Amino acid sequence: MSTSFLDLLLGDTITRFVFFPTVAGLPLLLMRRAPAATVKIYALVVSLVELALIGLFVVGRWGSTGALLARDAVLPWIDLAPLSVVYEVGLDGISLPLVLLTGLLLPIVLLGSWNGIDKHWGGYAFSMLLLTTGILGALVALDLFVFYVFWEVMLIPMYLIIGIWGAERRIYAAVKFFLFTMAGSLLMLIGILWLGWTYGRLTGVWSFRYEDLLRLELPIDQQLWLFGAFAIAFAIKVPMFPVHTWLPDAHVEAPTGGSVILAGILLKLGTYGFLRFALPLFPHAADRLTPWLLALALVGIVYGALVAWVQVDMKKLVAYSSIAHLGFVMLGIMACDLVAWQGALIQMVNHGLSTGALFLLVGMLYERRHTKKFEDFGGLAKPMPWFATVLVFSTLASVGLPALNGFVGEFMILVGTFKAGWRWFAALSTVGVVLAAIYLLKMLQQTIWGPITREENESVPDLGLREALTLAPLCVLMLWIGVAPKPFLEPSRPALAALLEDYRSRCAEPAPDEPLLAPARVSAGSPTFAAGVVDQEAGR
Amino acid sequence: MNPEYSVSTAELASLAPEIVLTVGGSLLLLLEAFAPRLRRSFHWLGLAFVAAASWYVATLPAGPSFAGLIEASSLTAAFSQAVLLAAALGLLVAPGYLSRERLLAGEYPALLLWCAAGLLLLVRGVELLTLFVALELLSLCLYGLAGFHRRIASSAEAALKYFLMGAFVSAFLVYGIALVYGETGSTRIEGIAAALARGQGSPGLLLLGFLLLACGFAFKLSLVPFHAWAPDVYQGAPSPVVAFLSVAPKVASVVVLVRLVLLVAESPLGGKWPDLLALLAAASMLVGNLFALVQRDIKRMLAYSGIAHMGYVMIPLAAPGPHSWQPVLVYLVAYVLMNAGAFAIVTMIYGQPGEQHAISSLAGWGYRFPLLAGCLTVCMVSLAGVPPTAGFLGKYFVFLHAIEHGRLGLALIGIATSLIGVAFYLRVVYMLYMKPEVAAPEGFVIDFGGRVGAVIAAGGSLLLGIWPQRFLSWVAASFERL
Repeated sequence: MSTSFLDLLLGDTITRFVFFPTVAGLPLLLMRRAPAATVKIYALVVSLVELALIGLFVVGRWGSTGALLARDAVLPWIDLAPLSVVYEVGLDGISLPLVLLTGLLLPIVLLGSWNGIDKHWGGYAFSMLLLTTGILGALVALDLFVFYVFWEVMLIPMYLIIGIWGAERRIYAAVKFFLFTMAGSLLMLIGILWLGWTYGRLTGVWSFRYEDLLRLELPIDQQLWLFGAFAIAFAIKVPMFPVHTWLPDAHVEAPTGGSVILAGILLKLGTYGFLRFALPLFPHAADRLTPWLLALALVGIVYGALVAWVQVDMKKLVAYSSIAHLGFVMLGIMACDLVAWQGALIQMVNHGLSTGALFLLVGMLYERRHTKKFEDFGGLAKPMPWFATVLVFSTLASVGLPALNGFVGEFMILVGTFKAGWRWFAALSTVGVVLAAIYLLKMLQQTIWGPITREENESVPDLGLREALTLAPLCVLMLWIGVAPKPFLEPSRPALAALLEDYRSRCAEPAPDEPLLAPARVSAGSPTFAAGVVDQEAGR
Repeated sequence: MNPEYSVSTAELASLAPEIVLTVGGSLLLLLEAFAPRLRRSFHWLGLAFVAAASWYVATLPAGPSFAGLIEASSLTAAFSQAVLLAAALGLLVAPGYLSRERLLAGEYPALLLWCAAGLLLLVRGVELLTLFVALELLSLCLYGLAGFHRRIASSAEAALKYFLMGAFVSAFLVYGIALVYGETGSTRIEGIAAALARGQGSPGLLLLGFLLLACGFAFKLSLVPFHAWAPDVYQGAPSPVVAFLSVAPKVASVVVLVRLVLLVAESPLGGKWPDLLALLAAASMLVGNLFALVQRDIKRMLAYSGIAHMGYVMIPLAAPGPHSWQPVLVYLVAYVLMNAGAFAIVTMIYGQPGEQHAISSLAGWGYRFPLLAGCLTVCMVSLAGVPPTAGFLGKYFVFLHAIEHGRLGLALIGIATSLIGVAFYLRVVYMLYMKPEVAAPEGFVIDFGGRVGAVIAAGGSLLLGIWPQRFLSWVAASFERL
């Protein structure tokens, strides 16, 4: 192996932008006595450099043919024959939008935490940067073991962010978050090990590479168990209906920045996991369980909306609205239709933008008034016209008003679901759209419109320059995606189409009675990983 | 044995690591008597002897010596290095504690070096009586170390408890050895294996003998149901001693236990053994993790956690074979780093000797001791088995072994108990960073050596998790000829 990890780290690679935040964040741990402003500016610069790295990397490969935009050289990582794990990362149309979103949200989160975080800013920023490495790594991992490690790397920084910088019940929320996620991911670990072992039994060489494991044809009962293990891990992260209880706690207790990153990206890793791993690896099981998962998604949409409706706290309302919105994404993913998948993918980004903006706005309001209850507000549009404008804008985007981004995603999901034959689910889920309008407009009505009921609200300062800068990119993107969604949808299309074709063709064939190894995908017509190295066993 | 047998130079050379450690210990004792002013450098001298022993272990020619009483192989070398690593950590963290408690004396490093010599012999012994003598050597030193804080009662209590437990172990072992020898006519592992293969001896008595032997080592490893001594001893004994005592003897005892299990499992007697070990492993994981959950004292918590970790180490033995060594070694090295590291930090930041090591008094100390708290956090995360740490690497190999050899149930129990583990390991992190400080630490001494020890342990735990390749090639090289 000629390339080393250091070469990857220093070259124009995916690895560089995955690890840059953590490496560049290490000095933050030593800046204990530095003035707070230095720490903040350093962290912000790091995050902007990170955004630039991601941006330059993607722009350099924009429009490249094939679904896989880039792949780093494969390195051996854990190598103790016959058990080997390789470090393999690649970027394709499915991970691209989420990677860009992560890069974008990082500086916004740091800027949005400028005054809200009042202690140990260096530690906070480092946790955020470490979290970013975990997120990006999980998004680009092409080896299930690597994916698992990055997936777990996200846990500790998020635990610290909620637990150290959170609100009153932060400990409870942090521990609940950690235990829920850990429980799911340990099941997934067993699933991953089982897959690697099965591959080893068939070929004599263990492998956790995505490309290799896609070739496994498993009997239906094994598929059901394994799909269950993966689906529980991902469903907890999404979160889907019965395992969602950690989310309101975590969101409400987390600091603003933590909520933004949690809602903006962490939740998407659950839906991304379904799309990337759970469905393609176990097509028959996924196919069989589709109605159930659609039903759970529908329950999530309606339940999330109904619970959001009765909230009296802005942050809780936004938190429950996330359950409803992610329900839509799950609906689109389980519908298994190209339009629905495109809609689901763009809706992941949309939710990151609009909910991110809403959490930031609630956080800004909290910094001024130290409350998030509706009853303490009313008539805020008068003292804070700019704030009110952005809040209305983000809320409408979240509701799904045409010409804003939320509409594009929800519309495509509903159309795709309907087209795929799940008509009742599509029809019933429109209830969620209506409910979203009701509870979000209720929030607007009670906070920014109407007469000013409290004296303190007379002179609340409007958005400052820093806050405006924080929100501006989000608003621009919300409008841009809403008006001209095509450039945002197009890069993902080939990858999704290839994945869907592959999924359908595998579902069409019956599941085998014994684990089998299909010929390498390279020849199976899937361009997703056409850039991959042909395996030695391909000739078998 | 041949009456004309005499010791050759080559055979003496094969004992070089043990000789270096023994001579080193004796030298330190003499220095204590005649040049007590050099006390401050004793621990560094001790480290030098450990380093020399480590060099000898690495260069020892492979093969049996002393007519097959001990053997050297790349496998014993690997485990010996793990033992020496634990000894080095034990030496690094001790001087700060000892000078704080006005106990600084040459006896401490001397006992520790002798104990290490016994441990190396235990790793390399392939004859039952040699093993017994090695075990007595190391145990006697540990009794002395456990009671080293002579002015406080809890230390003496710990020493006494440890001694009583050790006496039990000796009785078990002697009885077991007698039975096995009586039935097979040999005390050498090879000879016993040959006799077993021939079907010699009464199976009932042989099984009883082997069970007694296994029980003895299960006691040493504090496997459930032989675990009750561990929390009391850990709590009472001086913390730097526990940093050593909680890891090094376990490494050596695991080696012997694996040897015994493989011996029996590959013989006609082996039928039920894997299930028995699976039961021990499952019980240890469950009891260790569940009891650790309710502990309020960090040393007791770590004691129960150690019980659980020995359960994880036993998982590969539930499907015994030469392939069991590899995950065991990986896990043990990880365990040495993270557990010794945790105790090293406990040694430094808890100023009071004896029984007060409440987890709750860690509150807010994360900001007071940034480096040590960071290291403690890494050790806790590693003990919890969260990637990217050594603890996860160990669990990965252990669970993989279980799945590969049809022990999925055991892997699932391991996973479930790991989840319990997360709860109490994270409580330490939570105390360090998320609670306001309640009590200012008193009398803590953070010295250079201790800091180095903590950084080595925590850094090693991280390094093994992130970049394990060099370590794994070393592991692979140790098993090439198996």
